[in-house]
Amino acid sequence: MGIETSCDETAAAVVAEGQTILSSVVASQLGTHFPYGGVVPELASREHLRAIVPVVRLALERAGKRLEEMAAVAVTAGPGLVGSLLVGITYAKALCFARQLPLIAVNHLEGHIHAVVLEARRHGRPIDYPALALVVSGGHTHLFEYAEGPRYRMLGRTRDDAAGEAYDKVAKLLAFGYPGGPIIDRLAAYGDPTAVPFTLARMKGNPLDFSFSGLKTAVVRWVESRDLSAEIAARRALLARNPRPSVEEWLAVTSQPTLDLLASFQRTVIEELLRRVAAAAEAIGARAIILSGGVASNRGLREEAARRPLPCPVFFPSPELATDNAAMIAAAAWPKLQRGQTADFSLTAEAGLKLA
Amino acid sequence: METYYTGSEEETIALGERLASRLPRKGVVLLIGDLGAGKTTLAKGIVHGLGAAEPDEVSSPTFTLVHEYGHSPKVYHVDLYRIGRAGELESLGLDELLDREALVLVEWGERFPQVWPEDHIEIRLRRLPDERREIRIE
Repeated sequence: MGIETSCDETAAAVVAEGQTILSSVVASQLGTHFPYGGVVPELASREHLRAIVPVVRLALERAGKRLEEMAAVAVTAGPGLVGSLLVGITYAKALCFARQLPLIAVNHLEGHIHAVVLEARRHGRPIDYPALALVVSGGHTHLFEYAEGPRYRMLGRTRDDAAGEAYDKVAKLLAFGYPGGPIIDRLAAYGDPTAVPFTLARMKGNPLDFSFSGLKTAVVRWVESRDLSAEIAARRALLARNPRPSVEEWLAVTSQPTLDLLASFQRTVIEELLRRVAAAAEAIGARAIILSGGVASNRGLREEAARRPLPCPVFFPSPELATDNAAMIAAAAWPKLQRGQTADFSLTAEAGLKLA
Repeated sequence: METYYTGSEEETIALGERLASRLPRKGVVLLIGDLGAGKTTLAKGIVHGLGAAEPDEVSSPTFTLVHEYGHSPKVYHVDLYRIGRAGELESLGLDELLDREALVLVEWGERFPQVWPEDHIEIRLRRLPDERREIRIE
């Protein structure tokens, strides 16, 4: 059984032998967070507390299993919000204590990598080592080498904002609501991606590191140099009427220059990501590329990755496994269980837990 | 009050490094400025100036809310961008952070004036039309 409560989602899943998902339950908290334009920690831990028991129960029920049939309970130990992580960790410990089950600690980023590993295995096309993994979401933009063992080596990461954070901040600035990624991705298709010539970040030091704060500032500058107050007010009004507007409704309150800006922003983010993916894959002699995390659902990113001549096959998670879920936590725990890498009851939440 | 001008990210980091020696080992610094003003960039310099971490290791705490650097001196880098109400600060354990022997750098903290100790320092950052940054210490 896997349990995940590191940020937005309370999730539990039952996975057989690290590859067959018997159940995967995600109680999304997006509804709770929507009005605040971001994750609110107090609400997050309170919501996790409310959801954890029914979510775990439902995961067992859907899998047709009882808790005592589990080989182990795996839980995300970090990185994430401490209060949220603690809910999952404490509940996992209680389950293990009550049923004498082994407890396994999983790093959230390792989970995202294993979302893809699990699916590849299930489709009978296991991922070849070494693989290059990009985990990209609201909180993370990390490049790892994923080698046999599994062993991980960090090759690069963001020095300022995560890619998903840049999407969220641009969306908030222009009143497109939260989260920013899906809506910008959809509206970008209606704009000219070459209209606003954003410059790519030049990294001193490690060329595989990322930076998105310069792009964010460039968007702020673009917005400030125009009078967008009317369309921003119209979008606020739309969001107040309907928290989930359709693409048509958004298009009715968005000017062509703003659509062009979104398309140009999205193209720049994708370019930043895929350039480093290609360079890193080359550098480690990767035999597979894993793109995972919430931003891996971005349609523009997927299309561009398919179009580009990358040195090896690219694997994406299916949409249910791209965002936070517990099946990936159970999958990442499977090799640990086989090696006897269990945790004891002193396990604690670590906000900044590092994978490598 | 002092005012500085920086012309690039590197200069903003260098200014933070110089300012670091003048900041208390235990205390609160509010970094105040709009999106893209350079708050996280200045924080990189301050954290590095104190010898708590390399500038490249200091990233935006928007998602995780609190980043922790070094041991002695210890620096907490807090970002309240996502916090809507003061009541939500409690579960962050902010009171506990403020009690520790550490320098606490806070982005988007000016919205909760009642939370900070009276002797806190404010650094205001502004992006000028020519892309330089004006940085005022109060």
